[in-house]
Amino acid sequence: MKKLFPVVIVGAMLFLAGCGASSSPAPSSSSGTPSASEKQPTIGVAIYKFDDTFMTGVRNAISTAAQGKATVDIVDGQNSQPTQNDKIDLFLNKKVNALAINPVDLTAAGVIIDKAKAANTPVVFFNREPMASDMQKWDKVYYVGAKAEESGIMQGQILVDYWKAHPEMDKNKDGTMDVVILTGEPGHPDAIARTKFSVQAIQDAGIKVNILAQDTAMWDRSKAQDKMAAFLGAQGEKIEAVLGNNDDMALGAIEALKAKGYFANNKFMPVVGVDATAPGLQALKDGTLLGTVLNDAKNQGTATLNLAVALSKGLTPSKDNAGYEITDGKYVWVPYKKILKANMADAQ
Amino acid sequence: MKTNNATNANRVGSFFFQYAIYFVLVFLVLGITAIDPSFWSINSLHDILLQSSTRAIIALGAAFVLITGGVDLSAGRMVGFAAVLSASMLQIQEYSHRFYPGLPDLPLWVPVLIAIFVGLLVGLINGVIVSRFSVPPFIATLGSMVAVLGLNSLYFDMKPNQSQPIGGLRPDFTSTLGSGYIGSGVYSIPYIVIIALLVAGLVWVIFNKTILGKSMYAIGGNIQAAIVSGINVKRVLLYVYAAAGALYGLAGVMEAARTGGATSSYGNMYELDAIAACVVGGVSTAGGIGTVPGVLVGVLIFGVINYGLTYIGVSPYWQLIIKGLIIIVAVAFDIRKYLTKK
Amino acid sequence: MPENKFILEMNNVSKDFPGVKALDDVTLQVRPGTVHSLMGENGAGKSTLMKCLFGIYSPDAGEILLNGQKIEINSSRDALDQGISMIHQELHPVPRRNVMENLWLGRFPVKSVGPIKLIDDKRMYQDSIALFEDLGMDLDPHVLVGSLSVSKIQSIEIAKAVSYQAKVIVMDEPTSSLTGTEVDQLFKIIQSLKSRGVSIIYISHKIEEILAISDEVTIMRDGKRIGSWLASELTTDSIISKMVGRDLTQRFPEHHNIPGETVLRVEGLTSPFSKAFKDVSFDLRQGEILGIGGLVGAQRTELIEALFGLRTVSSGKIFIKGKQVKIKSPMDAKKHKIALLTEERRATGIFPVLPIVENTVMANMIRYASPYFLLKQLPMKQDVQQKIARLHIKTPSSETQIKNLSGGNQQKVLIARWLLTEPEILMLDEPTRGIDVGAKFEIYSIIADLVQQGKSIIMISSEMPELIGMSDRIMVMCEGRLSGILEGKNRTEEDIMHLATKFMV
Repeated sequence: MKKLFPVVIVGAMLFLAGCGASSSPAPSSSSGTPSASEKQPTIGVAIYKFDDTFMTGVRNAISTAAQGKATVDIVDGQNSQPTQNDKIDLFLNKKVNALAINPVDLTAAGVIIDKAKAANTPVVFFNREPMASDMQKWDKVYYVGAKAEESGIMQGQILVDYWKAHPEMDKNKDGTMDVVILTGEPGHPDAIARTKFSVQAIQDAGIKVNILAQDTAMWDRSKAQDKMAAFLGAQGEKIEAVLGNNDDMALGAIEALKAKGYFANNKFMPVVGVDATAPGLQALKDGTLLGTVLNDAKNQGTATLNLAVALSKGLTPSKDNAGYEITDGKYVWVPYKKILKANMADAQ
Repeated sequence: MKTNNATNANRVGSFFFQYAIYFVLVFLVLGITAIDPSFWSINSLHDILLQSSTRAIIALGAAFVLITGGVDLSAGRMVGFAAVLSASMLQIQEYSHRFYPGLPDLPLWVPVLIAIFVGLLVGLINGVIVSRFSVPPFIATLGSMVAVLGLNSLYFDMKPNQSQPIGGLRPDFTSTLGSGYIGSGVYSIPYIVIIALLVAGLVWVIFNKTILGKSMYAIGGNIQAAIVSGINVKRVLLYVYAAAGALYGLAGVMEAARTGGATSSYGNMYELDAIAACVVGGVSTAGGIGTVPGVLVGVLIFGVINYGLTYIGVSPYWQLIIKGLIIIVAVAFDIRKYLTKK
Repeated sequence: MPENKFILEMNNVSKDFPGVKALDDVTLQVRPGTVHSLMGENGAGKSTLMKCLFGIYSPDAGEILLNGQKIEINSSRDALDQGISMIHQELHPVPRRNVMENLWLGRFPVKSVGPIKLIDDKRMYQDSIALFEDLGMDLDPHVLVGSLSVSKIQSIEIAKAVSYQAKVIVMDEPTSSLTGTEVDQLFKIIQSLKSRGVSIIYISHKIEEILAISDEVTIMRDGKRIGSWLASELTTDSIISKMVGRDLTQRFPEHHNIPGETVLRVEGLTSPFSKAFKDVSFDLRQGEILGIGGLVGAQRTELIEALFGLRTVSSGKIFIKGKQVKIKSPMDAKKHKIALLTEERRATGIFPVLPIVENTVMANMIRYASPYFLLKQLPMKQDVQQKIARLHIKTPSSETQIKNLSGGNQQKVLIARWLLTEPEILMLDEPTRGIDVGAKFEIYSIIADLVQQGKSIIMISSEMPELIGMSDRIMVMCEGRLSGILEGKNRTEEDIMHLATKFMV
């Protein structure tokens, strides 16, 4: 006991030190050299939640884009709007030159705009679109994001293309596509939009859709695997396609399908996801994932940073100083991209 | 006559209370089967066992701590950390986005043991904090739960991975500890079910046949008496938390193998599922009471709820309500065993 | 008597538990304004009878009459409303609140200030003072209950019962934690209750007390009523023989100890806490019983717990067989072959929900360790069975949860636990507290037997006949200090009392 104790503590400390050292160039630290940073604007960036895969991509893109242009201070809202508001207060207190906010709850945007306006600090919202009425509150409020419905529409289109090229997909030959859907966190705007518009896009192409089962897997791979196993148990061969609100859940579904003998001996199931994550791309390469939709983290992050930098210099953002087309004087729309095995390189 | 009737009623009642959780399990299965008869199949059993395997190992870890009268909130985050650790070292060479780009193929057991060892180490630290510094287990493990998430996130965010989900796991890993099975068709048994059964057997032996086990029950039953009896309470607690940590580590490795990937959000809230399964299985949160078969039945009840209710298409919101009610009802019934009988 | 001969009657009460007839046609009749004692060994059915009275159990047969009226009692609240109160052996006051708040808990007097109702502290204080004066109690309503002695807390409970207009008050082992003077005070209070027409059902194992305070005595054995007598008709011996169903020729077993060499020597043992023991020196010889006497608060328990490594010591030396040793934990104590049977059986002795086997082997599991960490089940079970037989532990099986045994049998299991460690020195703290007469004799026999085998015993006891009857020497403590050691045969209770109060101001 007595001998063990110091060993444990020292071991733990070494372990911690090792982790600390390896992560020193973390994106949350400021970029640029100290001498340059004096002239560079400081931008306060608030992300709704750090352990969201897609937002991590955006976060990394912001850090990369900021190099040599601005000092960024990135904070985690821990999926709690009160926490995020506290951090925004801190930014305003520290007199940052501009804010880039990915709100936890989009209805909170109004309050954030009021605070920013009072401190005369411009705000760029990204990824979660505030209501139009809030956006109109002040002229130094901008939004960078993608149109959520677009990702759903593209998912649907991928299935429609496959359906037309592979008539054998209609296993029971009834002309109706029998799908199961794994949805994200209930109430999440992306989850709602992707579910609704993916189905609608298939219907718009003149194909009837029958939803055999639909359940939430909370964006989670492991939960999706369990849910898919239950769907397969209950529906079996009736399932003709799987729609996942994101890649993680699509991959979970693929694992469950593999366990039931799919993706071997010519037994295939079209599965589509969204996000084009690295494991998602690997699955495309392996031929298990039919397709995914790239939510362009790199361009969302870069556009957000560019807009914030322009605003912090007192400029009105434009295609010339931000590099992105401004719609309606306030919006930058970053398009989604369909990713199939053929065009995988676009997402890497 | 009156006396006899009363006694018989008492006996039937006490028999019912004694085995209440088994009845709950049977009712659930029968109820779901009544709604959709196709649920009654080897396939369903197969899937439920598969899904319950990692949960069973986590719950057994939690039972170690609960029996000593403590609670371990770090379980879920430990599972997540072990999943990420093992997955990060077991990716195929061709994968485009490797965690360690230049890492050669390690023997399978190396990353697995590293992950389990890290679990054990965090468990030991929990044990030291609880036994040496007398921090209440709830607080100590709350602290490590948060800290382990931090560690995991740091690790997960390291370049070049930068918080991307870890995929492209080696087929030997995903097969051995994940989807692989022996036998074929309906007579197949997945490896992870076998692993879970072996772990359950080992834990049963520890609980019932070793000094450590008896000491755990003694500490949970009456810690003052345990001290007076000259039981090395501090050392026992150290071993208990370490054993729990190692089990979470193993469960994390299996979770990564089963799902073929890992992210830092893996294992979120698993500790509560594990505690709920233990409690439903008759483990007392006051300590000193609990059996391995009880824990396994508790886990199975939740396995049946998760799988079966999705199977018959119950709305996810209703699933939560049913889970909550089962926790409360099961414990209310179980408590009656220990209340003074009228 | 204008109305009835009896204030309370429990007629022909029976209660079955699976496998046991706990009460078999028991009748208890209490006259107004008297003390009626209820006696019997543990397990005789006294507690079950009282639980039926308070609605904790519902009897299978029989009736309860109050003032000749049949009554239904479903909870202790019902009983209270009918004027039946109980003073429990273990009191559970709210320690952080003051005397009067404890007294009036749940029924605080209120005054209205506009629409708001506030607690009327003034009236509560006056009511409390009036009540205490009436009962001849000396209590300050404003003092925190946590700072009071057990006897004062008991007084509050009695006052509370009176304030509920109790006609019958049950007192369960009321003197178990009281000192001699406190017992006298309690008896004075009981007399004043009697004069108010209140009846007392008095449950105790202490025969001398029963004879001193009772008007009538009902004796129970094995769930049956043996009979009721006027206290004046009874003697100590007749009570014992009625309780155990056989004649006890003597209360203590014959023993002729031949003390040998010194096995334990303690020099100047002092606690770091100012109110605890200081500068205690004594020695213990092989094959000797050293009794430790003293009043509550004499620090006897603290002293032997320090010897067992449960408490810290600031200075002093301990020698075992001439070698100085350091005992910092019970594990060290076990290594030096010392065992301790603690005073608080429930709090620090038994593992309530564990079976007898585990309870018995818990202090010495290493004895059954085999390679690969597994315990050897068979020798373990055999040893436990042997102890059950040798110590006459009454239990359905070795797998029974210990909480289901009577106090005396629990105590025997704990003795068995320590005997398995094969100790040289056994320290027993109040080994017969709360145990019935028959079991007491058995425990004395076990102790005498152990000494015959060459073990050395240290025995703390607050029962002076026990100290005198069993000990070879009696060491008496007062306020943490050693006040004297009594040797030889002609020791009296007065000698002990004299030493026990030696340093008191």
